[in-house]
Amino acid sequence: MKAILFDVTRCTGCERCVNACIESKGFDPIRAEHDRYTIKDGLSANRVSSIVEVSSDHFARKACMHCLEPSCVSACLVGGLTKTAKGPVVYDSSKCIGCRYCMLACPFTIPRYEWDEPIPFVQKCDMCYDRIKDGLKPACVEACPNDVMLFGEREELLAHAHQLVKENPHQYIDHVWGELEFDGTSVLYVTDVELSKLDFPFADTPSIPSQTNFL
Amino acid sequence: MDRTRRIKDILWLLTFFGIVAMVFRFYYGLGATTNLTDNLPWGVWKILNMVAGAALATSGFTVGFMVYVLKLEKYRPLLKPVVLVAFLGYGSSLFALLFDIGLPYRFWHPFVMWNEHSFLFEVFWCVSFYFLVTFLELTPTVLERFGLKKVQHFLHKLSPGIVIFGITLSSMHHTSLGSLFLVTPQRLHPLWYSPRIPLLFILSAIGGGLLMFIAIKMFYDYLQCSRKPGYTCSSVNGNPIKKSDSDQKEDFLRLRGLATIAAWVLGIYLCIKIIDLFWTGAFSSLFSWTWESFLYLSELLFATMLPIFLLIHPRTRKTQSGLAVAAVSGAFGLALNRLNVGIFGYFRDAGAIYFPSLAEWAISLGVISMAGLAFFFLAENFSIFDERWKTRHSQPLQLSIGFDKLSMVWKSVLLSGVDRVSLMAIFIIPIAWWTMYPPFQPDSSLPIHPPKALDAERHVLLIDGNQDGVATTFAHFEHQERLGGKESCVKCHHLTVPGDHATPCSRCHIYMSEETNIFDHTYHLKAVAKAEELTGIHPENNSCNSCHAPDVARSGTTAKNCLQCHDEDMHPVDAPEERLALMTATGYMHAMHKNCINCHREKAEEVQNNELGDCITCHRKQPGSIKFPTLLAKNHLHLN
Repeated sequence: MKAILFDVTRCTGCERCVNACIESKGFDPIRAEHDRYTIKDGLSANRVSSIVEVSSDHFARKACMHCLEPSCVSACLVGGLTKTAKGPVVYDSSKCIGCRYCMLACPFTIPRYEWDEPIPFVQKCDMCYDRIKDGLKPACVEACPNDVMLFGEREELLAHAHQLVKENPHQYIDHVWGELEFDGTSVLYVTDVELSKLDFPFADTPSIPSQTNFL
Repeated sequence: MDRTRRIKDILWLLTFFGIVAMVFRFYYGLGATTNLTDNLPWGVWKILNMVAGAALATSGFTVGFMVYVLKLEKYRPLLKPVVLVAFLGYGSSLFALLFDIGLPYRFWHPFVMWNEHSFLFEVFWCVSFYFLVTFLELTPTVLERFGLKKVQHFLHKLSPGIVIFGITLSSMHHTSLGSLFLVTPQRLHPLWYSPRIPLLFILSAIGGGLLMFIAIKMFYDYLQCSRKPGYTCSSVNGNPIKKSDSDQKEDFLRLRGLATIAAWVLGIYLCIKIIDLFWTGAFSSLFSWTWESFLYLSELLFATMLPIFLLIHPRTRKTQSGLAVAAVSGAFGLALNRLNVGIFGYFRDAGAIYFPSLAEWAISLGVISMAGLAFFFLAENFSIFDERWKTRHSQPLQLSIGFDKLSMVWKSVLLSGVDRVSLMAIFIIPIAWWTMYPPFQPDSSLPIHPPKALDAERHVLLIDGNQDGVATTFAHFEHQERLGGKESCVKCHHLTVPGDHATPCSRCHIYMSEETNIFDHTYHLKAVAKAEELTGIHPENNSCNSCHAPDVARSGTTAKNCLQCHDEDMHPVDAPEERLALMTATGYMHAMHKNCINCHREKAEEVQNNELGDCITCHRKQPGSIKFPTLLAKNHLHLN
């Protein structure tokens, strides 16, 4: 299962990953730029990943976390969202009826809606599923000039992250964000500041489907 | 009769508003007609019409349960009205949902594409089948008028089975309507989030739904009957139906019986709700006296305490008005509870407030009004509350003409519904169109939050020239290419002037002969004339010399400089706040980047050291900050 490891201490917030995302997804850069200013976290249907300032001078990428047990997948009544074996949570627009329950269910408030379209769909990061299938890296990972993001197998990245955190105790907080939160996500963070701006809960919070799965 | 007409007029008015809003909703999309946002994606159509609407129409299943399962024959006369309320409640809820979901033509998808883990899936199936059940329960009543005895008998035989099926569906979807909100433990306010929402939802729906039915029934009786002693009820065309006092009393006792049951259920609900407050540990947030705690307390007051008190107190429980107040309060409290859980409880987490737009209100209330009109139509034409339709056709339609002594004119009262309604439509639809037409809506200036990240490679800038929070997009790369590539930076950016952020657009776009002109000459004529208090029939015609020099050909070059009048508006601020600096094109920073990055990248290739071209080379995290280049970068420039 593929995952992304994000190193907050390396990110300078140049947003080249976001520009690459917009280009690779074919979004309108002018509308994306507009949303960058007008929406607090910079996420919209024209801009599915963004860089947010998690603390003074510390930046982190905000996009779909690709949870291991995604709340949106369990919420969608037509099964339009699926957790693929490769890792990404992907959206099938041919099934969607536009109820927006996934947007309510997501604990990270990631899915965005095309409010301005007469026939609207949901937009979210799919970890460049088409590129992954071809053996490529996601566009954002490839574009990063500073190797902030690593892409690979989740287990390997976790081991690498723990090693990184152990070896540089003065540089990192001894915790890998996304390892245990909501029973794990496919986007992992190592950082020297708190990530409360990304809506991460306490580490022992179980996933939402397991909290509600008594049917 | 007159009361009914007045109510119907209001319902028609709302219906026409709703119809116009429905057209706009489909033509312009959700964004143009609603105030929904990505953080608060569920609005009044889902929560008020669906979640609250279904709860208020619960009486269909509770009274059915009492009559068919508990065999309380006393309530059998209420079955038909109750089924009508359930049918219209669920029908209007589902109808409103068609406007809420983004792709209404795919409403059938959940029947074919299954995700049985989804609470919404369960709600969808149960609600649509329950709607079918209420439809089947209502059909015999409707068929009675057309004399289709065989079908009627067949359905009558089926009805206990149908009712039991309906009860199962009802109890399932009322719990799962509550479960919908279980998936948001992080987002819903702790006062309302509880693992026991499903139980709370079904209990409050049973109690509040019964009270809602009592309110409807009493209101219908109020419309039909005059309040004089003897309770003379008039039928549709003034043909009086007399109800005996004992009938009236029986009616009242029956409703009070229902209300007592509701009070018991609501009492249990209140106890569980308070225990639950301790259980989830939200008790402390109740007494933090935020606006949520006030909403929570008023919800408890209206939904439970006030009705229970009125139905227990020996004085009020025996009066019509006591029962009426209890019923209305209970129904209102139930709706408030659903709005709290579905809308208000999310405000704090989203950090935003949602208030429905005019079109949202119009569709929400319009759909309810349509249900109200259907209610009157069915109640008047079929044996639901009474059998008045049997006497209706003996009375011909009539147009009454009378002389109004006050205004001294003859007035004719349009009695025929079609005339009256068409006349209303002619007046109301244009008004509705004008008030809700999305292109007429005032441009809500979006608040601009300057992004904190750097975006060193921006193609497009957002410029807020006069710093009023409304920005325009500026194609930076296009301008650069048109003006002569990288050499042209200096045309707009003034690196040597401190605090000078960028050249205003008007420096170039001022030629009135060109399409790109942004100088509004006509507007300036009037504004100058007004500011200088010029006189004349057309004072603006005397304003030329205010800007242009006299006795020379008038042109842009012979006119005053903009800054001579707009010193405060356009002159670059001396020490810009950080916020303003980020809102306008911060020319300096970008020019600096261009100065460094290109050379760094060339050198990086030359010496085969990739790090040299990285942002982090200059913007070191420690010890400096990355927002401003480190001293290292400044010294480096000087060295070069």
